[in-house]
Amino acid sequence: MAKGILDVAGLENVRIFIGEVAEEEEEWEPMGPHPKPGITTLRNWDFKLLQRYKPFYAPFCDMCCLCTYGKCDLSGNKKGACGIRMDAQQGRIVLLACLIGCTAHAGHARHLLHDLIRKFGRDAPIDFGPEIAVEAPLTRLITGIRPKTIGDMEEVLDYIEEQIVQLSDALHTGQEGSFLDFESKALHMGMLDSLAKEVADIIQIAAYKLPSSHPGGGPDVPLVEVGLGTVDTSKPVILVIGHNVPPAADIADYLMEHGLEDAVELAGICCTAHDTTRYYPKAKIVCALGRQLRAIRLGIADVIVVDEQCIRADIVELAQKTFTPVIATNDKALHGLEDRTYDEPDKVVKDLVEGKVPGVLILDPERVGEVAVKTAMQIAPKRRAMKIIMDDEEFQRWVRLCYQCGNCTLACPNGLRIGSAMAKAATGDTKPLAELFDLCVGCGRCEQVCKRHIPIVDVITKAAYPYVRQERGKARVGRGPVWDTEIRDVGAPIVLGTIPGVIAIIGCGNYPNGTRDAYLITKEFADRNYIVVLTGCMAIDAALWKDEEGRGVYETHHGRFDAGGVINIGSCVSNAHIHGACIKIASIYARRNLRGNYEEIADYILNRVGACGVAWGAMSQKAASIATGFNRLGVPAVVGPHGTKYRRAYLGRPDIEDDWKIIDARDGTEYRFEPAPQHLLVACETVEEALPMIAKLCFRPSDTDRGRSIKLTHYIDLHEKYLGCLPPDWHLFVRTATDLPIARREELLKRLEDEHGWKIDWERKRILEGPMRPYDPSFDPTNLPRLIRKKKE
Amino acid sequence: MAGEEEFPLDVSPMYEGERVRKEDMFVELGGPTQPGFELVIYEPDAEKVKDGHVELIGPDLTEMEEGKAYPYAMIYKVWGPEIDKDLEPVIERRNHEFQPYIQGYMHLNQRDEIWVRISKSAMKKGLKSLKQIGRKTIELFKSELPFIQKMEALYITDKEEVEKRLEEARKVYRARDERARGLHEEDVEEFYQCTLCQSFAPTNVCIVTPDRPALCGAMSWFDCRASARVDPEGPNAPVPKGECIDPIAGEYTGVNEAAVRLSGGEYNRIKLHSFFDCPHTSCGCFEVAGFYIPEVDGIGWIHRGSKVRETPIGLPFSTIAGSVGGGRQVYGFLGIGIPYFYSPKFIQADGGWRRVVWMASDLKERVADAIPDEMKDKIATEKEAKTIDELKEFLKKVDHPVVKGVVRPVDGKKITEGWAEEEAPPEAAAAEAAAPEAAAAPTAAAPAQQPAAPQVAMPQFPLLPTAPAAQPQIQIPTTPAGAPVKVILKDANVTIGKIILKRKEEK
Repeated sequence: MAKGILDVAGLENVRIFIGEVAEEEEEWEPMGPHPKPGITTLRNWDFKLLQRYKPFYAPFCDMCCLCTYGKCDLSGNKKGACGIRMDAQQGRIVLLACLIGCTAHAGHARHLLHDLIRKFGRDAPIDFGPEIAVEAPLTRLITGIRPKTIGDMEEVLDYIEEQIVQLSDALHTGQEGSFLDFESKALHMGMLDSLAKEVADIIQIAAYKLPSSHPGGGPDVPLVEVGLGTVDTSKPVILVIGHNVPPAADIADYLMEHGLEDAVELAGICCTAHDTTRYYPKAKIVCALGRQLRAIRLGIADVIVVDEQCIRADIVELAQKTFTPVIATNDKALHGLEDRTYDEPDKVVKDLVEGKVPGVLILDPERVGEVAVKTAMQIAPKRRAMKIIMDDEEFQRWVRLCYQCGNCTLACPNGLRIGSAMAKAATGDTKPLAELFDLCVGCGRCEQVCKRHIPIVDVITKAAYPYVRQERGKARVGRGPVWDTEIRDVGAPIVLGTIPGVIAIIGCGNYPNGTRDAYLITKEFADRNYIVVLTGCMAIDAALWKDEEGRGVYETHHGRFDAGGVINIGSCVSNAHIHGACIKIASIYARRNLRGNYEEIADYILNRVGACGVAWGAMSQKAASIATGFNRLGVPAVVGPHGTKYRRAYLGRPDIEDDWKIIDARDGTEYRFEPAPQHLLVACETVEEALPMIAKLCFRPSDTDRGRSIKLTHYIDLHEKYLGCLPPDWHLFVRTATDLPIARREELLKRLEDEHGWKIDWERKRILEGPMRPYDPSFDPTNLPRLIRKKKE
Repeated sequence: MAGEEEFPLDVSPMYEGERVRKEDMFVELGGPTQPGFELVIYEPDAEKVKDGHVELIGPDLTEMEEGKAYPYAMIYKVWGPEIDKDLEPVIERRNHEFQPYIQGYMHLNQRDEIWVRISKSAMKKGLKSLKQIGRKTIELFKSELPFIQKMEALYITDKEEVEKRLEEARKVYRARDERARGLHEEDVEEFYQCTLCQSFAPTNVCIVTPDRPALCGAMSWFDCRASARVDPEGPNAPVPKGECIDPIAGEYTGVNEAAVRLSGGEYNRIKLHSFFDCPHTSCGCFEVAGFYIPEVDGIGWIHRGSKVRETPIGLPFSTIAGSVGGGRQVYGFLGIGIPYFYSPKFIQADGGWRRVVWMASDLKERVADAIPDEMKDKIATEKEAKTIDELKEFLKKVDHPVVKGVVRPVDGKKITEGWAEEEAPPEAAAAEAAAPEAAAAPTAAAPAQQPAAPQVAMPQFPLLPTAPAAQPQIQIPTTPAGAPVKVILKDANVTIGKIILKRKEEK
């Protein structure tokens, strides 16, 4: 305390509580305006986004059934008993979805942090090697904290959890009434979700030393095997499912400590598979979420270990049918099993092997390895003697039983024609049935409605079995953060347009037309020199397909964050590194401060960084919060047709001129500008529609003419290739003749003259009149009036 | 309109970087086994250029044997009222930009090192003649560079003819190189700006002169000049050089005016050849980062992609690079392009090569022919010096100019005092205002969490000299200026959320 300010003359019966004693923080960057933003801190930014990208609601349900006044019918502009309207109710449901998604990541992060602190200590350092100086871009950006150890993340999680509680409160009846505020809250939740993911992934990279920029990391990560056909069932097989890696890591540790790496197969489904291979590259990725039901039914696992998220609710029942014991390891997914955490491991193993219990709970991850490995080794010989896959005779019996009632097709989310394929199979042609295997999203709803109780999923799997055994691809191990030095290297090519954008292929496997789309989208953009980053299920599914020479997309393309790269970033929580890469572009090129400076960085990204997310099979609530988190940071996203069930898109309207005003930060002049990017969240019906849309959403107002020319080339080219014609709005993106695709400049100038009435100087090949704004290479676009620079005199 | 014939192959930037592998190759042209070259010649007489015409001497594709390599020359004649001889090499290099756009046509390298492959699939799609390639190439040139009003091509696949003309071409290349080397700031009236990077770094001011190529290494004065011909108000608009205020540091009134205009008033002085005083701004694209090493009063350099992980100041490229960039003038650091090492004016205000004390070994090797003989053995790499102490030892051993004081070659002026005596803080005469102050922090003060850090003093990076740091600090509300308030606490609960233990100020 400074001298003379307070002079305490006496103390009597005084209790002094000291909450925390901390050392003074090292000076590293001035604090920005918005550290640890609350619900209203970034509301103005949200409203700017929402004004241009208006929420478009497609109610999945017209009713509100959340309180006892209801059900309330909100259709036809009716208000509910509490006064809520349809739009606000939809916003509310979106916030609820984002809440569920965000808590999954935040809960995961907190759980992981407890486990890792217990095992490695609070002081386990966050050191990602020489190529990564900004270790936690989102954490710095949102909270103003620069974490040095995993323990430093406790404060970050405290912030997230507090905000989640406040936001959830707004869902209660009689709280928020405005759809825009619900959306702003959803965006806030999305941002928290991105932060929670960063915490989760950073602490696991730091503690388990997963790939970063230390030797062997980054572009040099190994390839791992992917596919249902990669598991060697001559060995005992442990199958891990979920998202939270410590139990799987403990299994890997046990195998390594006991020299069993070659004796036991460790394989995984979904993000735990990604994270297990990041820790133990001998592990295999069996499949993404979409094949979960089938992988379990195939009975390849001798023991199943589940942790959290995206695990089938009927996992124990399914596993019992294939005599596979289940070990649950996470208090969020207990599946009614008995807690045997502190029992003698051999006793637990014995009960599982003898089938006395269908499964057990082991809540301490460090006690999972021994039980899982011993169980697998002891039960494998017994299980090999059993019949699990149906035989030909049984198959024939089922397909003949089908009388093509069509119930299954109605129940199928993709409307697959199962009945006619069954009929063909009954005549001996199993091909149509086998072809359904990849198109199926593996939900099993068909079986629930089958009047003849045909195990349809198993029948399809049986028909496809020869193919299934051949399903072997390769994916690069999830490499985690993009290096600062890689971002620096792509500076010039991004400016010059040789890299037209960054495509983030993320999310689940609820595809409209099979996994091939994941491969197609990846390949199409990587071949065009975009940087393609993938995570989660799509990173797995993209690995299942091959070119004519039998090479997968990870084999034909390099793993650098550079033109034409195909990069597996990692699991769901690794998505945060995609945000991180966009954020680092701002800090590296423009030297914008990150600390507590979310709004300015999001504005920078929205105006400059040509990145687009693609969640073609978005299914879970996590996918909703992930996309919303990208959106708030200024990154648009495209979802598949099932994505409409999230009820809300953020669609721009190029026809409303007032929505497309932007400020030149040099002097505050306001310009009308092209719809770049046009949407923040949009669902496409088909992949053919999605491909040009993705290219279109890479336009940014700050594009150089060279960059714009190449982006426009790909937009037009993809539109012509997949939709058979020039896009109707290509001319909106032309500011000057040099923006036009170089190989077609003359032809397109002619079209501008003939079809749009633009004036062209043919001598100099220049546009004299027509574009909505001129091209000025020094244009400094912003949506934030506070960033207008004042000229120094 | 010209080129209406149906060209059988796709033309798009997506094919850039496409490699035609041996197994997919129909024929190879030029390359490692056969002579080849490309050449653009300015023809002053418009009548002598047959626009759009392509001539071929030697066998055409249909007469070639699959899997074989053939000689290859591409000679273009161009005419336009704005073209002159100096634009020839710039136009010529675009051949390597445009031809790779053609699907199934691989074009590598330039000049007499060209290496072309045509794929089997291109033939399958209906490619029949090199003339088709020539016509498409001309079309691309004229579309991208409208100042080319007439253009014709002569392609040659006949060995004798290629070899004969190759000699002439080499003479042209040599003459051009001499011309480029002999052209200096004094010889021209205009420099050029490059504002492309402003799309990401809005305050960046990039000035390109014959003696200072852009720091990305991608744009020379000649390149910018060509780009300005295409679009005089575009990203490479000319910057009138104005008056020369300081020929040694490279300060010009025109450049200073451009700095104000381009940075929105952020900067008003830029000295093109100074490291310490009003240095050129750095965007994110620089190829090489220079860093001042106050302990020895010299400058070190490391390039992007260097295999060398650590510099004597204990920081990798990523961290050094993080201190440069952002389109700012950063004192003590400078981003440059590799070609700038070859400039006779290379940081001449600060002693040029004589001020260079350390380079990453792969960089030193790469620009070996730019280093003056007197300095070749005096510049340390990581092999000689990994730490400041080792660096000091080395510099003393080789009697590096910084030890006794640098006399700058340009005017013979002694600009540094040298190391007065062991361990005394170096007096950086020229760098007074510039040196990162905290850099000489004694070892003992290194932060506690760096116990493993060797004797290297960790320089604390100069905080950005930008907006005053708005460090929110909660002040205890003070009643009238410093008037003492007497407080008696009785039956009170005092809750302290957090106590911050401050480090003692260093003396």
